[in-house]
Amino acid sequence: MEQFLHELWIARWPLAQGLLLTVEISVASITCGTIIGLFGGIGLTYGKWFLRWPIRVLVDCIRGIPVLVLILASFYLLTFAGINLTAIESGLLALSIFCGAHMGEIIRGALQSIPPGQIDAARAIGLTFPRILAYVLLPQAMRQIMPVWINTGAELVKASTLLSVIGTGELLFRTQEIIGRNFMTLEFYGLCGILYFLVNSMIERFGKFAGQRFALQ
Amino acid sequence: MNRRKLTLFAGLCAATLASGFSNAALAGKLEDILQRGKLIVGTGVGNPPWHFRDEKGDMAGFDVDMGKIVAKGLFGDDTKIEYVNQASDARIPNIVTDKVDITCQFMTVTAERAQQVNFTIPYYREGVGLMMAAGGKYKSRDEMKAAGAGVTVSVLQNVYAEEMVHYALPDAKVDQYESVDLMYQALNSGRADAAATDMSSLQWFMKQNPGKYVDGGYGWNPQTYSCAVKRGDQDFLNFVNIAFREAMTGVEFATYSKSFEQWFGVKPPEPKVGFPEELR
Repeated sequence: MEQFLHELWIARWPLAQGLLLTVEISVASITCGTIIGLFGGIGLTYGKWFLRWPIRVLVDCIRGIPVLVLILASFYLLTFAGINLTAIESGLLALSIFCGAHMGEIIRGALQSIPPGQIDAARAIGLTFPRILAYVLLPQAMRQIMPVWINTGAELVKASTLLSVIGTGELLFRTQEIIGRNFMTLEFYGLCGILYFLVNSMIERFGKFAGQRFALQ
Repeated sequence: MNRRKLTLFAGLCAATLASGFSNAALAGKLEDILQRGKLIVGTGVGNPPWHFRDEKGDMAGFDVDMGKIVAKGLFGDDTKIEYVNQASDARIPNIVTDKVDITCQFMTVTAERAQQVNFTIPYYREGVGLMMAAGGKYKSRDEMKAAGAGVTVSVLQNVYAEEMVHYALPDAKVDQYESVDLMYQALNSGRADAAATDMSSLQWFMKQNPGKYVDGGYGWNPQTYSCAVKRGDQDFLNFVNIAFREAMTGVEFATYSKSFEQWFGVKPPEPKVGFPEELR
């Protein structure tokens, strides 16, 4: 135990950096993914066929590909198109696209569950489509999206560990570096697991709080 | 392991595409690097004494020092390096896709690999050794050989891992692990009776944990370590070769020798003054 605490003290900055990068990458890709998903979901629900079908194909393809393959593809394959992204950039790209495809589907589901009569009613009182979305549809969809959104967030934190494969210095990668030096395998993988658990339970807490905020009073 | 296969797959895709697109650099690699002002070295992170992060968080090890020798030759400054951390199976893909200028990551030279990358002149010759827990069931390779199929050996995952262990212990059961620390963990927890891996790594580990392990007293399986660069730029390859040759035989010998002693505990033989012996 004493040796572990000693090694932990030596490794405190790399671990903190790794944790910070994990959180940063997760937050950034959830944000980008949600924006992509919002447009994707609206396009899937209300778009004309020439908009809807390409989005459908894209979403289905991305949802069918393992995240690890997406990560490796954005790291390696893009170089042949002349785009040379760093490990962090390609990780962000892959996770955002992954999150976007899932969010698109979630938002489509939520929007479709709203009775279409409401759109007619909103039109009847003279609202334009963007306003119908902002005042009528999205606030109602929000209530359904919230729990699933939180879930996707927790999934993304876990998926970010896959970025260690391309050498992104996130938490799992830093842990592997530390174990490579001091060979305290069980101790540091255990600590790493606890840290991920803490991050995800914080996300869940936030989800509960936000869920109450959007709940019907 | 899934992940390894996938990386390999991505690498193959990349290599196939590379042969299709002929993205020839306008200037040579050497000019590119000099203009950029830093060398991009691909190496791993979890394998002392080859490449790892030391307690201060800096990259260290013999592979890292070889990268420094090249950087010193380029800029007169061995700190002008950017490290790309890569798994062993990303070594070739990262060279082919120009993610790195040079890979120094205890890379075994094989003719097969030489079809995909250009190897520099070698900087070390490795062998495999056996390590057992002190006070364990077996004391030496001979005892284990006599025990036959009752012995389990942990080894780093590799296509030729099984064959390699069976050369020394023909009947032993071979368990393959993804990283060195997991191999040692198997030995500690009694899942394996011995660990078979690079002699240099074993010696390093035994030095860090005095009294806890014993050497099996047998070495085999020679393999040559070289750095690798992208194929097709003879000019850059030539530059790296000269930098390495002069580190092993000429003006930079003191640097090479100091690093060699630091990581392997022995001094390399001094180059003899007079006729350049490597030409004999």
